[in-house]
Amino acid sequence: MSEPAQDPGEADLRFALVRQRYGARLTAEQLEILRRAVASLVEQTTTLRAVPLANADEPLPRFVPFRADE
Amino acid sequence: MNPVFLPVRELAEAVRTRQVSPVGLAETFLDRLEQLGPRYNAVVTVTRERALTQARRAEAEIAAGGWRGPLHGIPYGAKDLLATSGGIPTTWGAAPFRTQTFEHDATVVRRLEQAGAVLVAKLAMVELAGGMGYRQPNASFTGPGISPWGDTWSGGSSSGSGSAVAAGLVPFAIGSETWGSILSPAANCGVTGLRPTYGRVSRHGAMALCWTLDKLGPLALTADDCGLVLDAIAGPDPRDPTAATRPYRYEGGEVNGRRFRFGVIRDVAATAEAPVREAFVRSLDVLRKLGTVEEVTLAELPYDAITRTILIAEAASAFEDMIESGAIAGLTAPEDRFTAYARDAILAKDYIRALRLRTLVVREADRVLSSLDALVAPARPAIASPLDQEFRSAARGNVPDVMGAIGNAAGLPAIAVPNGFTEAGLPTSLQFMGRAWEENTILAAARAWQAVTDWHRRHPGG
Repeated sequence: MSEPAQDPGEADLRFALVRQRYGARLTAEQLEILRRAVASLVEQTTTLRAVPLANADEPLPRFVPFRADE
Repeated sequence: MNPVFLPVRELAEAVRTRQVSPVGLAETFLDRLEQLGPRYNAVVTVTRERALTQARRAEAEIAAGGWRGPLHGIPYGAKDLLATSGGIPTTWGAAPFRTQTFEHDATVVRRLEQAGAVLVAKLAMVELAGGMGYRQPNASFTGPGISPWGDTWSGGSSSGSGSAVAAGLVPFAIGSETWGSILSPAANCGVTGLRPTYGRVSRHGAMALCWTLDKLGPLALTADDCGLVLDAIAGPDPRDPTAATRPYRYEGGEVNGRRFRFGVIRDVAATAEAPVREAFVRSLDVLRKLGTVEEVTLAELPYDAITRTILIAEAASAFEDMIESGAIAGLTAPEDRFTAYARDAILAKDYIRALRLRTLVVREADRVLSSLDALVAPARPAIASPLDQEFRSAARGNVPDVMGAIGNAAGLPAIAVPNGFTEAGLPTSLQFMGRAWEENTILAAARAWQAVTDWHRRHPGG
């Protein structure tokens, strides 16, 4: 399983969203911790994207239609 | 007869034959909860009034010849994420919910009442079942969970469920696991903990952390006791659409002569701390007397990343209101007050990719387990950490836990049993993980283990 190179800008872009939404509540130290947490998340998803999936590889659990009278 | 540290099986026989009174039993454990519970930060609410009402009813029924079964008149504690009626708070371990009450009982609580069990306490837990990313033990408004084996962490998030059983405050308890929350306190507290197959036990009335990962299960002194409790709480429930329709009956009894096929994932203990690894190696020698032990290899997949992505994405959604409103600032652990904000950075397609990869995990786990009775491994890679230090955790991502990642992603049953002690007197633990719906197989393996070892008969201070 090879790991594709991580886009160096992706973590920054995602962190910008977090900072935009919550930055006003946070200290500089907390923001730095969140920056590292977002970088870790991006690294994690990079690992997931390295695994090839076929079109037929469905997620679990499957959606189940619902009727209240059944 | 001193009922403290007696297995449920033995207490049940004493109750059935009226050597022990359910009211007397309830009073014994209520007193212990009130006197010793604070020492371990194990208890949120002692439910004395409800307990004595249930115990008196049990006593009258048994006196009239109406013994309901092995849990009739037996006290237990419930992790404080299970809804209870009657004005008893259900706090989820979190300060913002410390006065929360419900009008109904969780299905598990209701089923235990139907079995005649006596609810004596709501037990402490890590706030929001650890879903906000806690890194150290002080993460509950009741204080850090403390192991009765020393001033170390009880494990979590079912912290009180582990420590209360270990300290003899309850004969058994109910906990929950999303990733490690039953096996971790069972390991740190030196008791037996069963994580059932996903869907085996209804989650109706339980706090949701991760809809596709959450499971409820028992912690007790023995594997046999876990089976007795699972028998009472398992089964379909129209109020939980994820509860399986297949029925369950515990197959207890002697396991003498049964030969098991155990598997060990290559290098599964390589990153464990030395005392854990050494205890595991010794355990393998014992297991070879109970059957065969073979090394197995798994397809290379990012197991930890898959499970962690599902966990943090679903937890972020389950507590979206609390996170976005900033109400998490009212939580106890400093890190729980803001780190969940980072989860806004998870993309929908990444979560769905993790769910698609989960399908590969499910198939791979079943391929390996189809020729085995159980995979065995250390229940936790680390021994209990000091109360004032960060701990190592796979859910945090600073120690690999392929068994936990696979077991929880695939919803597989596992049971943790004590398998030794460190030089400092802290317990270590062994897990048996089985194929989906094979609780009876892993319970049999754990009973066989406990028939030839005595680690589960050792108690703190004893």
